[in-house]
Amino acid sequence: MKKTFIVVLLIALLLPLSLFAQGSKATAVDETKPVTIQYWTHEDPARTQLETELIAKFMADNPNITVVRSTQASVKQIELVQTAFAANQGPDMFNLPIENQYAYITNGRVAPVDYQAAGYANKQDLLDKYMDGVLDTVTVGGEVYGLPLELTNWSIYLNKKVFRSAGLDPEKDYPKTWEEMADISEKLVIRDGDILIRRGFDFRYPYYLTFFVPMVEQLGGDLLSADGKKAIIGDEAWLKALTYMQQWGPSGRNLGSPTYKNARNLFNQDNNDIAMAHTGLYQQGRIEKDNPAFFNSGEWMVIPYPTFKDAVRDVAACYYGHFFMVNADSDPAVQKAAWKLSGYLLSHGEEYLTRGGNIIQPTKALFASDTLKNMPYSQVFIDDMARSHMIYYGENSAQIQTQIRNAVESVMLSGVSPEKALATLRASVQEIIDEQ
Amino acid sequence: MGTRKYRGIERKQARWGFIFVLPAMLFFSLFSFYPIINAIYTSFFDKRALSKLPPKFLGLGNYIRLFDPSRAASDLSFLNSLKSTLVFTLGTFIPLLIVSLILAVFISNLSSNKTKKFLQISYYTPAILSSVVAATIWMIIFDPRGLGNQWLNALMNTPGVDRRWLVDPVMEQVSTMVIYFWKYIGYFVILFITGLASIPPTIYEASTIDGATKNQVFWRITLPLLKPTVVLVSVMAMLQCLKTFSTQYMLYSNGAPRAPINVITFNIYVTGIQQQYLGRASAMSVVLFIMMLLLTLLQFKTTKSENVEY
Repeated sequence: MKKTFIVVLLIALLLPLSLFAQGSKATAVDETKPVTIQYWTHEDPARTQLETELIAKFMADNPNITVVRSTQASVKQIELVQTAFAANQGPDMFNLPIENQYAYITNGRVAPVDYQAAGYANKQDLLDKYMDGVLDTVTVGGEVYGLPLELTNWSIYLNKKVFRSAGLDPEKDYPKTWEEMADISEKLVIRDGDILIRRGFDFRYPYYLTFFVPMVEQLGGDLLSADGKKAIIGDEAWLKALTYMQQWGPSGRNLGSPTYKNARNLFNQDNNDIAMAHTGLYQQGRIEKDNPAFFNSGEWMVIPYPTFKDAVRDVAACYYGHFFMVNADSDPAVQKAAWKLSGYLLSHGEEYLTRGGNIIQPTKALFASDTLKNMPYSQVFIDDMARSHMIYYGENSAQIQTQIRNAVESVMLSGVSPEKALATLRASVQEIIDEQ
Repeated sequence: MGTRKYRGIERKQARWGFIFVLPAMLFFSLFSFYPIINAIYTSFFDKRALSKLPPKFLGLGNYIRLFDPSRAASDLSFLNSLKSTLVFTLGTFIPLLIVSLILAVFISNLSSNKTKKFLQISYYTPAILSSVVAATIWMIIFDPRGLGNQWLNALMNTPGVDRRWLVDPVMEQVSTMVIYFWKYIGYFVILFITGLASIPPTIYEASTIDGATKNQVFWRITLPLLKPTVVLVSVMAMLQCLKTFSTQYMLYSNGAPRAPINVITFNIYVTGIQQQYLGRASAMSVVLFIMMLLLTLLQFKTTKSENVEY
């Protein structure tokens, strides 16, 4: 009896191990057979509507190709795609922010662009279509590994009514420096004791690589040395930027905090609880959808990203990109079909701009188009982009962002001195760089 | 002849026992045993989530790194996670155990059945919510403009004071304890009520005849006879506290600083999923598993005693 029980127990415990002893995926070469593309992307109602229409047309024109489009919240998408790839079950086609996507290139998880399938004569034809330097971020070993779905930068949206309620003229008194941003926010805030009822401005937490590193760069600091081997350059710049954030937070002038509701989510509602928010051109579509009366009222405007009074460099917030990438482990026929789909979708740049979420594809044609130039305040975004650069991307950029977040929030919220926070940040980022 | 017949019946009954237990064993082996073995195996390698290269064998390297004293200064280190977990567990487990027992005794002694049922349902309702929903509700309450500050300021007559529920390191830890306590108190109250109901009323009647006071009844009769339930609740409560994750994750995702609430499970998640170090995360999970095992054994040992009978 006991022996039988032990044998059955062992079989039951060992059975799952045999289930996982699989061979590798078979690769087929037939490109004309019916294929299904699993396409994972982040949620955006406007873009979903456009892509659903475009995909329907694509499938009608390519009857052997079926596209299954799945969406997730943008933060969840990053983790889900990674988990799927870790289990070798990644989608055939996906997009992520480049700082999260670069690791897929360096780990050989994504395939180089099939230029002909995507609609280009060759690599040079592809490079000629896009703004200079944009594809550098996805070019490794001479091959391009992604096609840009969007290139996004953030400027400052401003609610004119809130400015006027504080006795300010939005057209003249908007902040041009970070020092003015703090002073003007002080005039705009409404508090009930310590509690902020209305904020003047608040940062785009926790995207510190996008908005905080440029602040440091304005003061002469850098995230890494030119050769990429040394972390945290220019202590004075870093200390000044950290001190600014410390003063911004609840322990300083109490102008904002990461624990309040996201400013850009409040801005659309026009409820007199936020005057300025840091966000992209795409926000206009969301304002129009959430609050058409506010959108059409003319009571909002966009201003450039401020610089410090004694800035040594004029740097705006970093831009980042989302790129379509194709799973290198997918069936070759599926890969080809996925590049074909990518090229097809991206050939509708003006539609993405006007009704696909107001996203900018960095093609020369779009940047020269009247469609972009005629969008409200698009010139502010274009000008800010011109004085900016791509967000730091590397194999461990997400980790580095986590460390910067810890440094900033420790000075803002936990009473840590900027000097101590900087020392911890340097040690942790250096370790990450050394491990790369 | 009789013995052989008996053995034959026993075997027949046992066979059916195997058949009924087999699906659960298969389920356990697939979804629990295999992941545990896999985690232990992975913990000896430098395995990265996206890397296709064969992972490098590190031996005990991951474990040495976890307990490296030179990393203790970092707020996000594993040693800091041990501290955060200990603080959270002690701060939640002890009140959960004591308050749930007191509430259970109070409810059991009520004369009105309607009131009993109402209180049981009220206390238990949060337990059926998912941790994510519970954390979301409390984040709205702990918002600087939320009910947390409003109620406390009204009670203490301190208008406009921000308690910094999700900002101050100590308050952030207290906030996670409050959320967890609120969510699970009802569950353990029900367990204690069930335990109390199993004590024969004749014993209480006998004690009344003998002139025992309420205090004496509680300490000399109720508590000793409730020992098995106390052991069950304390083990379950402690393991729940050690496994806490969703509350800390939700707070961090909504802007709260990570260091004060960087419990082991959260560190495992960040290390494995966000930072892609699956080997290190596996080592952390093995350490947590061993901790939970040892603490459970310790609890059983310290509460082990002969059954109390009257």
